[in-house]
Amino acid sequence: MSTVPIEPLLHLSPLRRSSTIHRGPTTSSLNLRCHFTSKKLHSIGRSIASGNSLGFRRRSVAIRASSSDTAVVETTSQSDDVIFKGIFPVQRIDKAEGKIYVRLKKVKENDWELSVGCSLPGKWILHWGVSYVGDTGSEWDQPPEDMRPPGSLAIKDYAIETPLEKLSEGDSFHQVTINLNLESSVAALNFVLKDEETGAWYQHKGRDFKVPLLDDVPDDGNLIGAKKGFGALGKLSNIIVKQGKSSSGSTKERKGLEEFYEEMPISKHVSGDNSVSVTARKCPETSKNIVSIETDLPGDVTVHWGVCKNGSKKWEIPAEPYPEETFLFKNKALRTRLQRKDSGDGSFGLFSLDEKLEGLCFVLKLNENTWLNNRGEDFYVPFLTSTSLPVETEAAQVSGKTPKTNQEVSESGFTDEIITEIRNLAIDISSHKNQKTNVKEVHINILQEIEKLAAEAYSIFRSTTPTFTPESVLEAEADEPKIKISSGTGSGFEILCQGFNWESHKSGRWYKELQEKADELASLGFTVLWLPPPTESVSPEGYMPKDLYNLNSRYGTIDELKETVKRFHKVGIKVLGDAVLNHRCAHFKNSNGVWNLFGGRLNWDDRAVVADDPHFQGRGNKSSGDNFHAAPNIDHSQDFVRKDIKEWLCWMREEVGYDGWRLDFVRGFWGGYVKDYMDASKPYFAVGEYWDSLSYTYGEMDYNQDAHRQRIVDWINATSGAAGAFDVTTKGILHAALQKCEYWRLSDPKGKPPGVVGWWPSRAVTFIENHDTGSTQGHWRFPGGKEMQGYAYILTHPGTPAVFFDHIYSDYRSEIASLLSLRNRQKLHCRSEVNIVKSERDVYAAIIDEKVAMKIGPGHYEPPSGSQNWSVAVEGRDYKVWETS
Amino acid sequence: MEVSVIGNPQTKKIYRAELTYRELGFRLGSQNISGDSRNRVSFLTHQSSKWKEIKIRSSPRSVRCEAIVSDQAPFLKPTPNSRSLESVKLFVGLPLDTVSDCNNVNHLKAITAGLKALKLLGVEGIELPIFWGVVEKEAPGKYEWSGYLAVAEIVKKVGLKLHASLSFHGSKHPEISLPDWVAKIGEAEQGIYFTDRYGKQYKDCLSFAVDDVPVLDGKTPMEVYGSFCESFKSAFSDYMGNTITGITLGLGPDGELRYPSHQHETKVSGAGEFQCYDKHMLSALKHYAESTGNPLWGLGGPHDAPAYDQQPHSTPFFSDGGSWESQYGDFFLTWYSSLLTSHADRVLSVASSAFKGSGVSLCGKLPLLHQWNKLRSQPSELTAGFYSSGGHDRYEAIAEIFAKNSCKMIIPGMDLSDEHQSPASLSSPESLLAHIKTSCKRQGVVVSGQNSAASVPGGFERIVENLKDESVGVDLFTYQRMGAVFFSPEHFHAFTVFVRNMNQFELSSYDQAVEGDKAKTMSIGSGTTGAASLQTA
Repeated sequence: MSTVPIEPLLHLSPLRRSSTIHRGPTTSSLNLRCHFTSKKLHSIGRSIASGNSLGFRRRSVAIRASSSDTAVVETTSQSDDVIFKGIFPVQRIDKAEGKIYVRLKKVKENDWELSVGCSLPGKWILHWGVSYVGDTGSEWDQPPEDMRPPGSLAIKDYAIETPLEKLSEGDSFHQVTINLNLESSVAALNFVLKDEETGAWYQHKGRDFKVPLLDDVPDDGNLIGAKKGFGALGKLSNIIVKQGKSSSGSTKERKGLEEFYEEMPISKHVSGDNSVSVTARKCPETSKNIVSIETDLPGDVTVHWGVCKNGSKKWEIPAEPYPEETFLFKNKALRTRLQRKDSGDGSFGLFSLDEKLEGLCFVLKLNENTWLNNRGEDFYVPFLTSTSLPVETEAAQVSGKTPKTNQEVSESGFTDEIITEIRNLAIDISSHKNQKTNVKEVHINILQEIEKLAAEAYSIFRSTTPTFTPESVLEAEADEPKIKISSGTGSGFEILCQGFNWESHKSGRWYKELQEKADELASLGFTVLWLPPPTESVSPEGYMPKDLYNLNSRYGTIDELKETVKRFHKVGIKVLGDAVLNHRCAHFKNSNGVWNLFGGRLNWDDRAVVADDPHFQGRGNKSSGDNFHAAPNIDHSQDFVRKDIKEWLCWMREEVGYDGWRLDFVRGFWGGYVKDYMDASKPYFAVGEYWDSLSYTYGEMDYNQDAHRQRIVDWINATSGAAGAFDVTTKGILHAALQKCEYWRLSDPKGKPPGVVGWWPSRAVTFIENHDTGSTQGHWRFPGGKEMQGYAYILTHPGTPAVFFDHIYSDYRSEIASLLSLRNRQKLHCRSEVNIVKSERDVYAAIIDEKVAMKIGPGHYEPPSGSQNWSVAVEGRDYKVWETS
Repeated sequence: MEVSVIGNPQTKKIYRAELTYRELGFRLGSQNISGDSRNRVSFLTHQSSKWKEIKIRSSPRSVRCEAIVSDQAPFLKPTPNSRSLESVKLFVGLPLDTVSDCNNVNHLKAITAGLKALKLLGVEGIELPIFWGVVEKEAPGKYEWSGYLAVAEIVKKVGLKLHASLSFHGSKHPEISLPDWVAKIGEAEQGIYFTDRYGKQYKDCLSFAVDDVPVLDGKTPMEVYGSFCESFKSAFSDYMGNTITGITLGLGPDGELRYPSHQHETKVSGAGEFQCYDKHMLSALKHYAESTGNPLWGLGGPHDAPAYDQQPHSTPFFSDGGSWESQYGDFFLTWYSSLLTSHADRVLSVASSAFKGSGVSLCGKLPLLHQWNKLRSQPSELTAGFYSSGGHDRYEAIAEIFAKNSCKMIIPGMDLSDEHQSPASLSSPESLLAHIKTSCKRQGVVVSGQNSAASVPGGFERIVENLKDESVGVDLFTYQRMGAVFFSPEHFHAFTVFVRNMNQFELSSYDQAVEGDKAKTMSIGSGTTGAASLQTA
C-alpha cells in the first residue's frame, strides 16, 4: 500500500507571532511540510522553485499572507501552553480480499441457471453479453430477452448490465442469477464485473470471463474449417471455465453441459476516513514540550518519528527517555507504538521532548505496507518558541508550499502525488548506489505510466479533434478534373455490387454460381463487383485467413476464381478482392504453446504479430490501430511484413486479375500503411471497412455524428485518399431517421448530408447493408421494410453506392434496377452536388445536380414547378424520385 | 486463477469497440485505481538520511514500456562549449480550442491524462491560449472565465506550472473569432480591421491604427485590453505567482507582433502585402506625409509592391535599388514599422501596469519571418512591419520596447534549420534567429523559445542545439502543441527522447557535482528486441 497523503486543515501558527500579534487569527500561514522536497529538488536542479529565484519567493510570501484567509488557524491565545494544535483528516485505504464465484446449476431438465456472486461489499454490476453459435471474434451480442433478469439495462446492442443483489440483509455476499435459455443458439456467456462505487472493472486474466455453454461449435456437417479453427483458437482464447472434457465428437446437443462451481480471488480497495489530532504543549516545569498524538485509526498504529534541531530540518534521534514501546529503527528514526484507547476505537501517545528542539517530524505506519503521511510529506510539529527562525527558512518553507496549496486529496490528486513521488524517488535513488532497491523497476513503472497516459490522451484526441476541415477538401475536390481514375474513386461513376452474403460459402461453388449472373449484373448497371475473401481461412466465410497464397476456399478453387474474374471483365465489370490484412491465423505454436508462427509461403514468425495483444505473444511493435482479438494481428510496421503484403497484393492483381480491393477491418492498422499498399498494388478502386460505433446519448442516437465521420475521414486522409471508406455514418443516421421517423437527421447544421458523404463524397462508399450487418448475421440490420428508402437515398446521392447481393435477389429487384438505371442515365457520380430542400420530421427531399429530385419519408414533397420539367422516375413505399426531361 | 482490474486502455475493444464517452469516463476513473493496485509503491522519506524503503510489485504485463525503453537513439552528450539545459524550463502548449466558445473544456479527459503524462516526463509547465473572443464573447466587460479556470485548476492539481497566453486575435483553425460584439461593431463601422489594398479585411485582429481610438463602444482597444487583463488578474488571483508563472500578451495576428501580411497560409511563396488600407491607417499615413512635407506620399501605400502570391522580385518595389531603398520607401516603411513598434509598446505597457507585482513574468511573441531573408530587401519582414532606416538593426527598436517593459521575448521557429528550407525560398531561419537573439541580448531581453507550428524533419535536434547555444541563453521553451498528433505513438516517442535528452544534462551535472560518480547504465530486459538500455545516471 502506498503512502497516503493527508490534507492539513490547519496551518500552524508559530508562537512567536502570537506573542506579538495577539488579537484575532493570525493571517500569515506557514506550512507544515515541504522542507524536504524543496531542498532535495533544489539540489538536483529540478526544483519547481529554483535556487536563484529567492526574490520571487519573497514576493510569493507576501501574496500568501494577504490571501490565506481560507486556512483554519486556531489562535494560540486561549492557552499559553499550547504551542501547536491541529487535526488532520486521514484517508486510509484498506485492501479487502474476497472472491468472485461462478456457478452453473441444473434446476431441472433443460432448465439451467448461472449464478455470479461476489463476497465483497460494493455496488456490483454484472456487465454481460453472449456469443451466439457461429460468432467469430470476441464481440458480444445481446442475450435473448428471456435470459435477462429483472432490473437489467441494455447497453447499446451488445451488452446488458444487471446489478447484483445482496443475498441477505447484513450479508456482504452479492449475487445475480441468470436463467439460461438453451433453446437459443447462445454459445457462451461473457461478462466482466463492475463496482460502481469505485468505477473499477474486474476481469479475468485481462479479458472477459467467458462461460461456454457448448462443448464446441455445432457442426452442421460442413463446418470442418471452423472446427479446426476452434481447436486452434481454444488454446488462445480466454475460456476459463471449461466444463466437461474437451469433446472430440462434435454434436449440436448440449450434452456436455455440466454443473460446476468456480471461485476466483479478488481484492478491492476500500477507503476509510479517519483523523489524527496533534497537540503540543509547553511544560515549563520540566522544560519539556509534550506532544500528544491521537487518532481514531483502527488497529495498531506506529509513529515513526524523529526530531529537528539547530535549524536543520533533518531527522535526528533525540536523547532518551522515549515513550513506552519505542524502538530505534536503523539508527535513523524511532518507532513508537501508540497505546490503544480504553474505548477501543483509536489510540494515542504522548511524547515528551526537550523544549530546545525545534520540532517533531513523524509519519504513521499502519502495517508493513501502509504508511500515512501529510500529502507526500512528513508531519511536522514545530516547537518554535523564539524569534530565531531565519527569514530565509521561512521563505523557503512558504514557497515550497505555495505551488501545492489547496490541493485536494481527490482520487486523481492522490495518484498525482504518487506519481510525483515515484519520480523524485527514482532520481534520488539513482544517486545512491548502495541502495538495494531496483531502479529498473521504478523506471519501468514511470515509463509505463507515461505511455499509458499518452495512449489514453491520443485515443481521445484522435476521436474528438477535428483535425480535418471539410472545406479544404471541397476546395481540393473542385480542382480535380471530373473524370480521373484514382484508386479512391475509380472513374467517379462506379456502382458497387457486393457479390456474396454470409451463406455464400455453403454451396462450395459460389464462384461458379456468380459467373452465371455476370450478364445480369452488368445489365442492371453495376460497374464493380466485390468478391468474398479468396484465401484459405479458418472460418468458412474467409475472414480468418491463414495461408495467403492458397486461394482455394469454400467459394471455389483458384481456377474458378480466375475464370469468374475473367467472365466479369468480359461484361465490363471490375472486380474487387476482399483483402484481410489486419490479422492472420497461425500455422504453428511457439514454445509457449501460443499460436503465433506462420507457415506457407509467408512463413513469418512472432515478429510479425503485434506486441500488445497478450494472447498471441507477438514480438512486433505495438499495434498502430485497434486489435481484433480472435487472431494474431499483423504488425504492419515491420518492413518485411509490408514487403510481403505488397508482393502478395501485386501477385493477386496479376495472377487473379483483381482490379482493386475491399479492405477488411482497417481500424486495426494505420491508414498510412494502406497508402503504401495502394501505391504498390495500384488498384483501380479500393474501399476500406472502418466500422465503429456512432455516438449515442442515453440510447438515443446523437444528431451530430461529426466525431464519427471524422474518424472515418481521418482514416481516408491517412491513406492520402488512396482508398475510400464505407460510409457507416450515413447508414447509422438512415437507421435512426427511418426507424423513428426523424428525417430531420438527414441534414447536418450546414445543410449538407450528415455522413461521410457530406464531407468527402468522392471517398464515401455508401451502403445500407452488408454480410455483417445483414444477411444471416444481422449485427446491425437496416430497418426492415425501409430498404428501398435507403436505396433511394444512396443511389441518388453523391458518393459511390454499394448494393447488397441479398437485396438484388429480393422483391426489391425491379425498384433497385430502376434506381440504378436512373443513376446511370442521369450520370450522377460520386461528386454530384446535392441540395437538400427539405429535412423535416416526416420527409427529406433533395435535388441532385439539378436534374434528379428525390424524397423519402411519408411526408409530402413535390419538386418546384419552375423552369425545369420534372417527371417521376421511380416511386415506391415512402419514397419518390423525379428526373428532368 | 487471476482476476485483474482493467487498466489497459486497449481493453476497451472487448466491448465491441463501441465505448461511449460515459464508459471512457469510467476507464479514466478506474485507471487511477488500477495504477494503484498494479504497481505498489510504498516509501518513506527521512530528512536526515536518504534512506528509502521501496516495495514495488509489477504485474507480469508490465512489458508495455518497451517501446520507450528500447529506443536506440543516442542521448546527446554534452559538448564542452555547450550550455547545460538544466536552466531551460520546458512547457507544452495546450490545444488552441482547449476551451470552446461556450466555455466548455474540450477533450477534458484527454487533457487530464496528457498533463499527467507530461508531469511524469518532467515537463515544467503548460501554456494555455486564452481567447478574447471566448472570455468576453457577448458584451463588453462581461467576462466568462469558468472554462479557463477549470483548466488552471487541473494544471495546478497535476502540479504543473501555467503560462497564460492572452490572445486578442482570432484563429482560423480552429475557428475562433473576435468577440461577437466586436464583430458587430466591425460590420457597422468600416476600418477597425487591417485592410489590404484590395479592400479585403483581416477580421482576426484589430488594426494597430485604432489602438487609441475609441471605436469599441466608446472605449479604445487599449482600454478594453487593460480591463481584460485586470479581470484576468482578479479571476486568477489564487493562481498568480504560484501556478501561473508567466503571461504572454497577444501583440497581433496569431499573437505575434506583425501585420497580417501573409493571409493565405497555404501559399506563403510571396513576400506578403502591406496592410495599411483601413480608414484609420490611411488617415494616419496622410497626416504623417503632410507633417514630413510630402503630402503626395500620403495618398496610399506603395503602388509597385507584389501581390500575395507573386515572387518578391516580380515587381520593382523589393528589387535591388527598388522603391524600398528610395526616399519614398524609407518614408513609408519608417511610418509603417513605427506603428508596429508603438503598438507593442502600448500593449506591453498596459499589461505591465496591470500585472505589476503579481509575481508573473510578461512575454510577447515575435514572428520568425525567415522567408526571403537572404534578399537584401528582406521583403517578408518589411511587409510584416520590421524595418529600420539606414540599414540599422530592424529588431533593435522592438527589443528596446521589450526591455523597457521588462518583457521576455518569445521567438518561434527554434526547430527550423537552413538545410531543410527550399532553396527557392531564399530563406535562412538560423541566421534570422541568431540575429533576433543578438538584438535581445544587446537590450538585455530574456529570450524564450517555441517551435514552429508544423513539425519539421530534424526539429528536435535543432531545438536542443538552439537551447544549448551559450551566446544567448534561452530560459524557457514552449513546445507547440498538444493534440492528436502530439500524442500519436510516432510523435510522442520522439518527444520523449527529446525531453530525456534535456533531462540528461540535469542528471549528469548533478552526478558530477554531488557524487563525482560516473553515470551508470542499466540494461532493461526487453525480451529479444536487442540491447535496450536506459541510462539512469
